[in-house]
Amino acid sequence: MTTALAPARPGAVARRATLVPLAAREMRRFVLNPLFLFAVVMAEWITWTGGGGTATEIDEVNGYPAVFLGGFGMMAAFWLTRSMRASEPVAGVTPTSRPARTAALCWVAIVPFCCGVLTLFGFLHAYPAGDAVYGPFSPSARIAVLVGQIVVPSLGGPLLGVALGRWVRFPGAAFVLFLVIFGWVELVTIVTLWHQDSWPATVLRLFSPFAFFTVQADSGGVTAWRGSPWFFIGWQLALCAIAVLAALLRGAEGQVRTRIVRALGIAGLAALILLVLAATGGFTHAVTA
Amino acid sequence: MTTAVLRAGAWPAVAGLSGLAAVVGGCGAAFPAAATVLLPICFALLAAAAAFTLDEPASAVVDVTPTGAGRRTTIRAVALLAPLAAGALVMLAAAVRGQALPWAAAGLALAGNVLLGFAAACVARTRTGEPGAAVGTAVVLALMAPSLVPSIARWIRTFPAPGTGGPSSDPVWWTVLAVGAVAIAISVGGRRLPRWTSRVP
Repeated sequence: MTTALAPARPGAVARRATLVPLAAREMRRFVLNPLFLFAVVMAEWITWTGGGGTATEIDEVNGYPAVFLGGFGMMAAFWLTRSMRASEPVAGVTPTSRPARTAALCWVAIVPFCCGVLTLFGFLHAYPAGDAVYGPFSPSARIAVLVGQIVVPSLGGPLLGVALGRWVRFPGAAFVLFLVIFGWVELVTIVTLWHQDSWPATVLRLFSPFAFFTVQADSGGVTAWRGSPWFFIGWQLALCAIAVLAALLRGAEGQVRTRIVRALGIAGLAALILLVLAATGGFTHAVTA
Repeated sequence: MTTAVLRAGAWPAVAGLSGLAAVVGGCGAAFPAAATVLLPICFALLAAAAAFTLDEPASAVVDVTPTGAGRRTTIRAVALLAPLAAGALVMLAAAVRGQALPWAAAGLALAGNVLLGFAAACVARTRTGEPGAAVGTAVVLALMAPSLVPSIARWIRTFPAPGTGGPSSDPVWWTVLAVGAVAIAISVGGRRLPRWTSRVP
């Protein structure tokens, strides 16, 4: 009896052979970006020093890694993507397609993602999961809050930067988007402070790549707002998928383009469902502990 | 000459950033509790808008024409009226909504933000034809530093908050105005040609 082994498709092997060196090259460029290096140093410094160790609730300090690894990472990835714009006439005639080059750029998000994981451990070192600063959340929900506020923004920010760099010509788009997201998060958090049990306010707060889940209560405890941290992670991951697909769509042709558009529709629908689940799940009203 | 220099400006960037700043500032005026966060973001965007006023895509040609750098910079400075007007509009809206901001200090901060962006662009323009994006990013990050890095906020404040707690923003902006004016004068007076252009004998 003989066994026939199906050989790997030559196209897929060739694509992988091209993608790996391209991704490694882009990763090296990203890691050497001064803005990203600064962001990593700041995020790790704030994390491992525990933000001064004076936090009375976790949201006082865990927004900073998202700002540095996610926000600054987005700007670095945007510059990295735009830096190839001048050489597009030359790069455009090479056998490597633009979606393949975009895919290589998307792989650089692994670096800030790993930094985000490291930061998560730093936070758990400074503020263990059993600490009162997390409020009334269950132990698993506490981890979900940290993952959604530290690890996933570190992955999503650079991916958003790549998509932005592929689609927007304006060279200042990254810092504008950074300020807009920063302002939006602050605004909807303040709206939530006024209407803590309101469902629309919860949807607005979670309709963002980053959201706060707790606030210092007047009584001295920690108040946890409505919303499910686990489903919020799902919403964030759906946003990451949308960013990758939107980036890949630029320059895609024929059947690949059709597939990406279809996948974008599915990802958009999944994001919508996960947002609704995030807003309806978790506590049904603000709880203080 | 004036019309040609003005027409070549990066108006979409200047007007777009000023418009966005007006929207963000308008939200700050509409939600007084968020004003201390949104108004600094608004002013940072206005500083970024000012940084784009000197962008010149055809700098390799323009920089060797007989029109001096001082004259071109003066004409381009007219574009600063856009961010200044947007900032004034936001402050007016906040005043109409009855916000209790220290208005003199807020006006000084507005002027300081716009001048900071413009002065940084003037200095960078001696090296590159389109300094807007890099200078805009640097200025925005510098202005947002007190909000982004907790320890900086204890020492420096870039926007005057109501109340007496914390450091005042006035010394920062008086210093920026003085240093900015000197930087503009020096960069315009002794502007060097960009590195890639050859000097005309």
